[in-house]
Formats: sequence, structure tokens, C-alpha cells
Amino acid sequence: MLMELTKMAGRLLALSARAVHARAIPVGACGVHDEVRTVIGNREIVGYGYNGQANYADRAEFPLPAIRWKEPTPDIAALREKEKGDWRKLSLEEKKALYRASFRQTFSEFKAPTGEWKSILGYTLFFTSLGLWLFIGMKLFVYNPVPESFGEENQRAQLRRILDLRVNPVFGLSSKWDYEKNDWKK
Amino acid sequence: MFRTVLVRANSALKSSINVTKPALALGSSRHMSKESTETDEEFDNRYEAYFNRADIDGWEIRRGMNDLCGMDLVPEPKIVIAAMKACRRVNDHSLAVRFIEAIKDKCGGKVNEIYPYIVQEIKPTLVELGISTPEELGYDKPELALENINDD
Repeated sequence: MLMELTKMAGRLLALSARAVHARAIPVGACGVHDEVRTVIGNREIVGYGYNGQANYADRAEFPLPAIRWKEPTPDIAALREKEKGDWRKLSLEEKKALYRASFRQTFSEFKAPTGEWKSILGYTLFFTSLGLWLFIGMKLFVYNPVPESFGEENQRAQLRRILDLRVNPVFGLSSKWDYEKNDWKK
Repeated sequence: MFRTVLVRANSALKSSINVTKPALALGSSRHMSKESTETDEEFDNRYEAYFNRADIDGWEIRRGMNDLCGMDLVPEPKIVIAAMKACRRVNDHSLAVRFIEAIKDKCGGKVNEIYPYIVQEIKPTLVELGISTPEELGYDKPELALENINDD
């Protein structure tokens, strides 16, 4: 019985492992799966990437992604050829074109504030006030008035009765009441 | 049926406990990760040598740079210089620019103290190799507005 169970579990594990493996996109220096190529096109795979997959993300803690941002067009290929020579002969425009071929955004661009916090704050306040208005509306139009026992007179009477019954006399409410002086203990 | 399973599981458990007990008593030293005994100097030399390797390829350069960016430090200028030269050997100018940007980002709140020092130290190399700093390329400020990736 136990043997069968373990065998079954083992088979399940192997099956699931195979399923995961089939979906994962292996990236190696020695040729790339067609599946990857359908996603990234002709983009050059230049590194391991942050998770071993051929994808692009601008991340400050992992600045060099696995693939180049642009596919090698003839223009870019010509620039790459020129890049093999002296870099002092490259113009600023060419250097910038090369940078944009490799990377989508500069650090200052992808770290620039988006201003999204304003909409978040706005939505939060809007929905909070909506909830408060709903509550006020319910109080005004839906709920009955609170029962009589919520009134101050009734509450006093109830407290008096609790003390008269000497509820919880050791550590509780009645222990704080001085029955001689008919007042709270000081 | 379940009784058999339980009995077997119980005996299996017992035997495994009996096996592990003496092993625990014997091996009092723990096999855990060790604290690094590498000094800062050794670290710097290690990375300088890593980038100075003559046949280093772009894959390894990126690995070294990404690793450095994941650490709680700003790389020494001599590491940066070695990395710049490695970028030159694999003919990737934008890689060098990106690394300088990343170093600037690593300076964090002390960017006005550390970054000028690093630029000052690596400037001769930059001039020699013809590498433009991010400032020269105008990348210290956002150049392009954010494109929405879904707008194509």
C-alpha cells in the first residue's frame, strides 16, 4: 500500500516536472528554442538575464537584461560594424543610437516618477468618502432608531442593577463600588 | 488497510529516528554557510582580474556587472576601469555607458560625493577608449517620455 502510494507520488512528481520543463524556455549559448524566437524575433541574446529567460526588463538592481532591446536592422548592424573600430570616431548620435538598440530606457527615464501616486490617493479618498456617504444614507433612510435601552436613563438603571446584583465582586465592576458610601471607591 | 499503512509508517519513522540519533550526537559541527573571510582588497583584486581576463565575453561581463549591482557596495574605480576595457574588447559601447549609469545609481544618497570621484578616476580611461559618460549623452535627465508598451 505504502509502496504503491510512493510510486504514484513519484510518477506524479515526474509528470509535473516534465510539464514545467516543457513550458520553461531554455536559454543557452548553444542554440535557442524556436519558441523563444517567436517571442523575441532576431534580437541577440547577450546574457543570462535576471531569471534565465530571454526577456527584457529595465531594472536598477539588474541593469543588463538578457536580450538587446531592438532587433538588428541594417542600420544597427552597420553601426555595430563601426563600433568595432575606434570609439572616438563615433558621433554622439551614433552612440545614442547604439544605446537605444541595446536598452529601452536610461536609468533616469525608468526611475523618473510616474505621478501614479496622485491617482492612487485620489481613488482611495473617493471610495472612502463613498463608503461614509453610504453609511450616512443607511442611518438616515434604512435603519430604525436605536432601542430605548441605549438612552442615558436606561443605561444608568442597568448599571445600578448590575451593582445591586453584585456582579463580579472580586476583580470586576462591583469590586470598584463602595456599598457603604454608595459611591465608586476612590 | 489504513492500519497497515500506519504501522508501517510508524516503524519506518522509528527506524529513521534510531539511525539519525547517533549521527546527530557524533557530528556536533554544523555544515552551514561560512562567513566570508575575503578582505575588501582581495575582493577588488578578484573583480579587477575577472574583468581583465583577455578572452572574457559579453555574457561574462554582464554577469560580473549585474553581480556587482546586486551587492551593497559601489565598485572601486579600478574595477570600473577594468570593466570599461573589457567592454572595449567585446566592442560594446552601450554596455559601458549602462554600467556607469548603474554605478551612479548605486551611489544612492551620496551620489554627489562618490560619483564625481569615480568619474574623475576613470576619466583618463574614458578619454582613451572614447567612451561618453551618460552626462555627455544627455542621459542624466530623462530624454524620452515613457512609451506605453500597449500603444503600438
